[in-house]
Amino acid sequence: MSLSRRDFLKATAAAAAFAAAGAATVNPLRPDDAEAAEGGITWGKAPCRFCGTGCGVLVGVKNGRVVATKGDPQAPVNKGLNCIKGYFLSKILYGKDRLTKPLIRKGGKMVEASWDEAMTLIASKYQESIAKHGPDSVAIYGSGQWTIFEGYAALKLFKGGIGTNNIEPNARLCMASAVTGFMTTFASDEPMGCYDDLDLGDTYFLWGANMAEAHPVLFSRMIDNRLRNPRVKIIDFGTRRTRTSQMADQYIRFNPQTDLALMNALAHVIVRDKLYDEKFLKDHVVFKKGKEKIGYGLEDKFKFADEPKLISFDDYQAFLKPYTPEYVAGLSGVPAAKIVELAHLYADKSRKVNSLWTMGFNQHTRGTWANNLAYNLHLLTGKICRPGENPMSLTGQPSACGTAREVGTFTHRLPADMVVANPEHRAKTARIWGIDPAKIPAKPTYNAVEMFRALDRGDIKVVWIQVTNPFQSLPNLNRYRKGARKGDGRFVIVSDIYPTRSTELADVILPSAGWIEKEGAFGNAERRTQQWFKLVNPPGEARNDLWQTMELARRLGHGNLFPYKYPEKEIWEEYRKFGEGQGKDLAPYEAYTKARGLRWPVVNGKETRYRYAEEYDPYVKPGEGIRFYKNKADHNKAVIWARPYEPAPEVPDKKYPFWLCTGRVLEHWHTGTMTGRVPELKRAYPAAVCEMHPDDARRLGVKHLGKVRLTSRRGTIVLNLDLNGRGKAEKGNVFVAFFDENKMINELCIDAYCPISGEPDYKKCAVRVEKA
Amino acid sequence: MPVSGVVVTCFSGSSAEVAERVGAFDGVEVHGVLPDGQIVAVVEADTVQGEVDLVSRLHEVDGVIAVRLAYHNFEDVES
Repeated sequence: MSLSRRDFLKATAAAAAFAAAGAATVNPLRPDDAEAAEGGITWGKAPCRFCGTGCGVLVGVKNGRVVATKGDPQAPVNKGLNCIKGYFLSKILYGKDRLTKPLIRKGGKMVEASWDEAMTLIASKYQESIAKHGPDSVAIYGSGQWTIFEGYAALKLFKGGIGTNNIEPNARLCMASAVTGFMTTFASDEPMGCYDDLDLGDTYFLWGANMAEAHPVLFSRMIDNRLRNPRVKIIDFGTRRTRTSQMADQYIRFNPQTDLALMNALAHVIVRDKLYDEKFLKDHVVFKKGKEKIGYGLEDKFKFADEPKLISFDDYQAFLKPYTPEYVAGLSGVPAAKIVELAHLYADKSRKVNSLWTMGFNQHTRGTWANNLAYNLHLLTGKICRPGENPMSLTGQPSACGTAREVGTFTHRLPADMVVANPEHRAKTARIWGIDPAKIPAKPTYNAVEMFRALDRGDIKVVWIQVTNPFQSLPNLNRYRKGARKGDGRFVIVSDIYPTRSTELADVILPSAGWIEKEGAFGNAERRTQQWFKLVNPPGEARNDLWQTMELARRLGHGNLFPYKYPEKEIWEEYRKFGEGQGKDLAPYEAYTKARGLRWPVVNGKETRYRYAEEYDPYVKPGEGIRFYKNKADHNKAVIWARPYEPAPEVPDKKYPFWLCTGRVLEHWHTGTMTGRVPELKRAYPAAVCEMHPDDARRLGVKHLGKVRLTSRRGTIVLNLDLNGRGKAEKGNVFVAFFDENKMINELCIDAYCPISGEPDYKKCAVRVEKA
Repeated sequence: MPVSGVVVTCFSGSSAEVAERVGAFDGVEVHGVLPDGQIVAVVEADTVQGEVDLVSRLHEVDGVIAVRLAYHNFEDVES
C-alpha cells in the first residue's frame, strides 16, 4: 500500500471514529480527500451477521470482494460503531474451506456431485418416506439465522405443501421461553419497548445476562447513558462474575435456579410494603395461576398442557406469603436486607426501571415462569410501556425475532402469532397461500429436542438442516449424534457455508451462500426489520438456501406455491398480509431497502417505538393510555402469574458436586463455525476452557492452565483450567463456552426442558471435576 | 496493512491516562480525546492477527470500558 494511500485511509478511519463518537466537527479530513480515499470501493448497508442486537454495518466491495467494513453512521441501533466482532464480518466468508460443491455420501466418503444429482436424490428420499411412512416422517430444522425469506419458504413448503408440522428452528433452544412468556403475559410476542430505553432509563436490572460480552453494543449504550447521567444504576444479578459485573454498580450473586424465588421475594416486598401501583393493577392487570410440579421433559414424547385459572389479588398476595426475604435469602444466598433494598429500588417512583435478560432466564427448565415473574415486577409497579421503563427480553440470534418468531417457523405456529391449533388461523393462512385449509395439520408434532429424539427412534426418517449446527449445539449431544447415523432409512441433509460437526454426519451436504452473498432481511430484538441486497457472489457453486428450498418444492410437485419472479420481494409482500391490521404490520418492501430498518407495527409508513401505549402505538386511541390490545380474552389486560419456585431436575450431589453452566464469549459466535474460520480470531481465543473458583481448584490440586476432567451423567471432557479469565466462577460452579468444535461441552448438558416452551436448560446440570 | 478507526470508552476521569497508555502501543495513534472522555484512535498493523492482538490489549488496559470499531480497511490483506 502506498504511503499516501495509507495516510488517506488512516485519516478516513479517524474521521469515521470521530463521527461515530459524536464529534464530527473535529473531522480532520477534507471532503475531497474522503472521496479520493474511498477510490474504487462501493458501499452497501446490511445488519451484522452475528447477535440479536442488529447493528448496522456498511460493507465495502472492490473487484467483487469485501475489502472494508464500517459501522453504519446512519444506523440508529449503533450509530457508526460495531463491537470487536465487527472486525471479522467479512473475513467469515473467506475461510479456506468454504463449501463450494454439493457432496453426497457414497461408500462412507463424501463425493462431489452436481446440484441436479443432489436435489434429485433429496427429493426422492422425501417422496419415498412420505409415501411409505406419511408426511410426519420428514422434517426441516432451520434457524434464527435464516433470512425472513428462507424461513417463510420452508414454512410454506412443509405446512402448505407437504402437509406436516415438522418444522422447528434452533430458536427453540434460545428464545422459546421468551415467546411463551410474552404469549402467556401479553397474548402477543416481542417487547413493548425498544433500545431507546437504554438511553432514557436510569435503573437497569440485569438477570443472568453477560451483556458486556453477549450484547456489547447495547451494553455500551447503557454505559454511555451512565457516563452522561451519574444517577444511572446497573445491578448485575449473576451466578458468575463477568466483565458485566465489573462495570455494574452492584453484582448480586445468587444460587442457580433461585432466580424464581428471588423475583417472588421482590414481589412479596413490593406487595407487603404497599409499593405497587394500585390504579395500574385495577386498569391493566388480571391475576392467574397455572399447574405446579410440571415436570422437566426428560422422557421422550413428554407432553404438558397448563390449566390457567383466574385468581384475585388477595389470592396472589397469599401465594407470595412464603417468599419472605429471610426464606429466600436462605435459598438464594442473597441477604434479606439486600432483597428488601432492591425491591424498593424496583418500586422507587422517582426511577425509570428496566429489566434485561437473555439465556439465564430462557434456557431454564422453568423459563416461561422466569419470564412471567420478570413481567410481574413491572406490572406491579406500572413501569412498563413508557420510554425508559420497560422489561426487555434481549434476543440471541440476528433473526430469531424476524424469522423464527414472526414468520412462525415452529411446529405449532403460523405467521403473525397465529397457531395451527386454531381453525380460523389455518383458514386465513390457507387463503393467503391459495391452498385447501385441510392441508395444514391442526396438531403440532415435535419441539426441537423431541424432533431429534424422533430421528433417534426412527419416527422421523428424513431431516434437512439449514443455517445451524445441531450436532454440536443440542443438549445431551451424544444421543442425538448417534441417532443421526443409525441408518435404517434415515437421511440427513445439511446446508451450510463451511464443514461443521453437523455436515460430518450428513448424507448430503449442500454449499450455501452466506450473509451478503444473498439478498436478505433479519429482525432484531427491538422489532426492527432490516433488509440488505446481495453485494458479492457466493463462491463456487454455492447457492442461497431460499433457492434450495424452492428447488425441493418444485421437485416434490409444490412449485405452484412459489410462482415468484423476484422471490425475495414477492415473498415479503405475501408475508406481510398476515400481520396487517393485527398489530404486527410491516411496511412495503421498498421502505426497508431505503431505511436503516423499521420497528413494527409500521402503519402508514410510521414505525412504533412503544407498543400498547397511547401516542406511540397507532392501535391505541387518544385517552386510552395503555391497552394490551392483543389479550382480548382478558379484556385487554396483561397477566400477573403466580409461578412458584421449583428446583432444577438435576442438582449437585455427592457424586456430581458442581453446577455446570455454559454460554458464549465475546470473540466467538455460537458454535464457532464462522468465527472459528478467521485464523487470527481463532488464535486470539483458540479453545474452550474451564472456569472455576480458585479455592475449588486448590482443593482439587489443579493450577491455572492445568488439565481437568469434567463428567456428567451424559458425557465427559478434558479441558484446561482458566483461573485468570474474564469470567470468574463462584464456588461450586464451573463455566464452559460452547464454541469449540473439538470440545463439545453440550455432550455433558442435560436435555431437560421447560414444559411450556420446550426450551432446554443449558445453564444447570451436575458435574464432577477431577484433576486430569 | 489493515487500518481501523476505533472509539475507546473510559471510566469517568481516566481518559487522559488511558490516552497516554494506549498511545504508547506500537501501531496505535491517538487522534483525539473528547470532552465526554471517549478516545478516538487509529490502529494499524502488518497483519489482521497483529490488529487483533492490539485491540485485545486495548480492551485490557486499566480504565477502559469498551473498544468499538468505526472503520476497518483491509483491501491489501491476502486472505
